[in-house]
Amino acid sequence: MKPEEEIRKTRYKTYALVWMILIILTGMTLSAAGMELGRWTVPIALAIAGAKSGLVLNYFMHLRSERLLIFKVIIPLVLAVFLIFILLTFADIAFRGGVK
Amino acid sequence: MIRMDEKTAFALEGQKDATSARLGMWLFVLSEILLFGGLFILYSAYRYKNPVDFHHASRELDVLLGTLNTIILLTSSLSMAASLAAIQRGQHKLSMALLMATMALGLFFLVNKGFEWGAKIELGVYPNSPTLLARAKGEILFFGLYYVMTGLHGLHVLVGVCVLFVVLILLSKKKIHSTHFTSLENSGLYWHLVDMIWIFLYPLFYLIT
Repeated sequence: MKPEEEIRKTRYKTYALVWMILIILTGMTLSAAGMELGRWTVPIALAIAGAKSGLVLNYFMHLRSERLLIFKVIIPLVLAVFLIFILLTFADIAFRGGVK
Repeated sequence: MIRMDEKTAFALEGQKDATSARLGMWLFVLSEILLFGGLFILYSAYRYKNPVDFHHASRELDVLLGTLNTIILLTSSLSMAASLAAIQRGQHKLSMALLMATMALGLFFLVNKGFEWGAKIELGVYPNSPTLLARAKGEILFFGLYYVMTGLHGLHVLVGVCVLFVVLILLSKKKIHSTHFTSLENSGLYWHLVDMIWIFLYPLFYLIT
């Protein structure tokens, strides 16, 4: 067996554990939505969704066992581009006077 | 000795190919993230402008069905990942069974989605319907986004099932085995992406308080 292949093998147990955490986090999202959290509702929902995505990316999509640097860089890079889009859009919406 | 070296060189070459194929798949996955990202920005801009209407419209969606579909997709991701783990260990039949389970869960998701859409359409709530157009501006926007975003996502699930079907055929023909599983792994990346998009769609559409 090639060494790289060996490293990239994930145990069934790990996958099952990640799945369990994902289900628990889904339950948390659901119960958080039932609470009166006011302005924190969306940030909390997004934080949980972000955590779930992190698990999917790292374990199911094996990002954590990728050795090449480029795999570590592309996700933050795309997120940075996305963030710029968000900031530009909201800079437009927030400061657009009068126009609906 | 020379033969061995050639063999090693060949194996290394194959490894490089697999890595480049994976990188290519990742680039595609990232472009998909930006595609849905654009729609998410559109969603947040409209929600920011119409918070109350979005809240009212969201209450009409079936939270139970949305939650069930979330669990279905998360479980399908598990079976997809396990299918890859099985083929890496040379457990050919198990890998095929898990892949079929993944496809079945994907179809189950689509059936639920169909019922959900059907119920809404039954009530006259669909894009450009007279019932919907008579409602508040924000609610029209909410349902427009709901149909576009869950529709585009559903289309991705459908494409995913088709891709997995092709992979299943390759598996059954033993074109995919313990040392060569790039197509299974890369279609898995696509499947997990579709799961990940749903992770965000779920709270943003079904759980607005």
